[in-house]
Amino acid sequence: MGFQSQVEKAKNLLRTRLCNPNFIIKPLSDSPDSNYCKLKFTISSSITEACNNSILLVGPRGSGKIAVLELALNDLLQEYPDTISLIRLNGLLHSDENCAFKEIAKQLCLEHHLLFSKMGKQRLLYSLLDAMNTVTSQAVVIGVSCRLDVDQLLEKRIRSRFSHRKLLFLPPSKEDVQRLLEHVFSLPTDSSFPHDYAAQFNGKLQNLLADDRFKEIISSYLDLNSTINHLVRFLFIVVSLWESKSGFLSLENFKSALSSIQRQPKQECIKDCSILELYILVCMKRLEVKEQNSYNFNSVMKEYRSVHDSFQTSDYYAWDVCLRSFERLIQRELICFTDNRAHGQSVEFRPVKLLVSYVELQGGLKSYRSCPIILQKLMDH
Amino acid sequence: MGEEDIQQITRRTTRSFSSSAATGNEAEKTKISESYAPNLKDLIFGGDHLSYDDLLSSFPTRGVQISQIVHLLGPLNAPMLPIFIYGGASTGKTSIILQIFRHLNRPFVYASYRTCYSPCLFFESILNQLLLYKKNAVNGYSSSKRCEKPSDFVNFLHESLLSVINDLKVNTRKLSSNKLAGQPNGSMVYLILDNLELVRDWDKSSTILPFMFNLYDILKMPEVGLIYISNTSPDTYYSNVGYVEPIPVYFPEYTEEDLRQIFLRNQANQKLYSSFLDVVLKPFCRVTRRVDDLSTTFSSLFRKYCEPLNDLEHVPNEEMKRRLFSHFQPHIALSLNEIFEVHSWPLLEVESNKEKKRKSSIRSSEYFAELDFHMSTSAKYLLISAFLASRNPATLDASLFDSTVGSDSYKRKRKASVKSMEQKEAAEQELLVKGPGTFPLERLLAIFQCISSVAEGPLDEEYDNDVLRFESGDSGFMSDVLMQLSSLCNANFIIKGGSCPLEGSTRYRSTITEDMALKVARSLKFPLPNYLYRR
Repeated sequence: MGFQSQVEKAKNLLRTRLCNPNFIIKPLSDSPDSNYCKLKFTISSSITEACNNSILLVGPRGSGKIAVLELALNDLLQEYPDTISLIRLNGLLHSDENCAFKEIAKQLCLEHHLLFSKMGKQRLLYSLLDAMNTVTSQAVVIGVSCRLDVDQLLEKRIRSRFSHRKLLFLPPSKEDVQRLLEHVFSLPTDSSFPHDYAAQFNGKLQNLLADDRFKEIISSYLDLNSTINHLVRFLFIVVSLWESKSGFLSLENFKSALSSIQRQPKQECIKDCSILELYILVCMKRLEVKEQNSYNFNSVMKEYRSVHDSFQTSDYYAWDVCLRSFERLIQRELICFTDNRAHGQSVEFRPVKLLVSYVELQGGLKSYRSCPIILQKLMDH
Repeated sequence: MGEEDIQQITRRTTRSFSSSAATGNEAEKTKISESYAPNLKDLIFGGDHLSYDDLLSSFPTRGVQISQIVHLLGPLNAPMLPIFIYGGASTGKTSIILQIFRHLNRPFVYASYRTCYSPCLFFESILNQLLLYKKNAVNGYSSSKRCEKPSDFVNFLHESLLSVINDLKVNTRKLSSNKLAGQPNGSMVYLILDNLELVRDWDKSSTILPFMFNLYDILKMPEVGLIYISNTSPDTYYSNVGYVEPIPVYFPEYTEEDLRQIFLRNQANQKLYSSFLDVVLKPFCRVTRRVDDLSTTFSSLFRKYCEPLNDLEHVPNEEMKRRLFSHFQPHIALSLNEIFEVHSWPLLEVESNKEKKRKSSIRSSEYFAELDFHMSTSAKYLLISAFLASRNPATLDASLFDSTVGSDSYKRKRKASVKSMEQKEAAEQELLVKGPGTFPLERLLAIFQCISSVAEGPLDEEYDNDVLRFESGDSGFMSDVLMQLSSLCNANFIIKGGSCPLEGSTRYRSTITEDMALKVARSLKFPLPNYLYRR
């Protein structure tokens, strides 16, 4: 197999692994006190002992709750093939109760083990939990939520019937992350992959993982957002930036992935503005500094005119042109109206305010190519 | 399947349609449906094959973004995480993603939240495309499936995606390599969702936006790729419900060098256009860097620039460039202030007359400003009444409009003392900040009646019809005025303001400027300044 095709094969393998949540969650679920083991134990014991149970999985978005659940359910479905039937409900899809009942009826088979995602209406929950107590069939209700206080949102009668088993999904520790990186990026050394290339790749990978600069990049990314899915997203960008010309992953790939994810959207937006739009922003800032509580486009125009009169700028444009630029700024979401539309005024009379801070505006002006010096001066006083 | 759905949806039909449906149009309809059989090729862009180099050369300034997207999409049949393309308007996002798919020749489904402005329309549009369903006369232009709820949509989407992916796999297995030209590549389907920023305004309390973002997780199909396109950055989409943000791809606005490259494409005489851009690009980029604004302005300006030239193929030397510039320069400043104006085509002939007028009387241009659209006389009176009602306080109506009071009372000049000048300035400032006032319908109609009765005197032959209308009795008069009022509201000359806190009746507000009101009054020969309240 040619070198290029080996590289392509490696890239494809890594992409497929990163898009497969089951693969990602495996190394974190190996230890006996992981959430996966606890969940599996709870469900399998309620199956074998024929009792009812309810569990809550809580954790920030992207921490792998559904992935762990799917993993546990897959294993259990293999162990007890005919005794489990699944019903899945999603709070986003089935937020209306009738919808939820229809969905249950659709997915229902003989005995029902129920699965919820993101708690839906309380009435449904109550009737289900109630039914579990009275009816002879066994049910396990598993709730998944990204809100840590979700059990406080439940009504009292539901909370009382709930068995208060909560599994918290915490952010992964440094060792977990290291294990995950090795697990994802190590190429298999069995016959499915050309051995020499795989060995070389794995060797370079170990060097990279031990590099301090690499550890710094990973930890600075995780400082922003430490859930697994976010890390996977970052790793996906790394793999997509990996050029086929170089046969191996390098530190540069990680660096460029980090800079492409860590963006400052408001600064970018300010750099996208035209000079007239910058004038309007600076005039609005001056009005706010003068402590005018509410001002509208006409006030901004007055300030613009006074700036032109005192400094004789070369950028003095007609009212229509300024109004259009003003509307463009609203589209960009750098400024917004402060009233709601109830009072129906035309654009030039509606009160507005800035959506960028003065610091951001100052930074944007500094990094703007060929920014007129007058604007920087106006920002200062 | 189509007929059952038609029966389920009760549609209103005209008598002619339902009568002709039974008769001989059936033969025609079957002919139409037989001539085109939908197949998997509908899911690709089609057309001539576009190589990667052609793609890069048709978007000369977007090389970085194109390579970013192509790498994220990956090789054939590689799974991908959702990507989020964002950037200002007119930066090439939609056209580039579609051309990339033309180059890759992979099947995709495109929906824009601008044309599919409700969830129902959106769901049906996507399903129609996946089911290779075309709306035509046979199925009564209805959709293939009626789908209003997200839960139904997910089920239908799952089914149809599975069947399309299956067909694609069968396709690639069956056909040998030389027959694959023109057939879609691979067995992945991509969903392109455009104008995502509009979904935020659909229903503030609904879960439709988190649903759109969670679509990848809900579907759990690695053979589906999701691409979002938006005008605003991902941080403007915060929501309580959690989802993992898609991978961002940023399209910055074009720089001046980018714009130069873009505008020089497809120009016959590159050197001439380049010298034109040297003159024009810098000043106009200070106002806007959007390609759509600049291209309309530059096309008319270039014609003006080339006026002194007899031969457009001519390559200009330095002396020629200087001559062209001196001829062209006065137009730049003028055009800068008109950059966002949209000229309607019939006016272009009038423009040449306007030009001559403008050149001859630039100093006294205000006096020649005319209304450049038509309105009926009663609409004009109504507009002026609305302006007066918004501008003047209600307490002044009696003295201004009562015909028994002498008309000279308000013309008394007041001495311009310092205090009154300050008061005048403060009053102007207040007007600028507060805006026009609101008025109830009755006040508007009262003023309208007063004004139109005053103006009845010096009417010419032209206004005979209106005079007849005014005199024809109250019922005809009022209905005409109310219709005019609703047309003016639709044209946003008058808008509905808040309702009166005591009675709850609607109040209106006039939105026209004083200049426009004066123009309208001048066209009616109505002495508007006499009625304006000046503090």
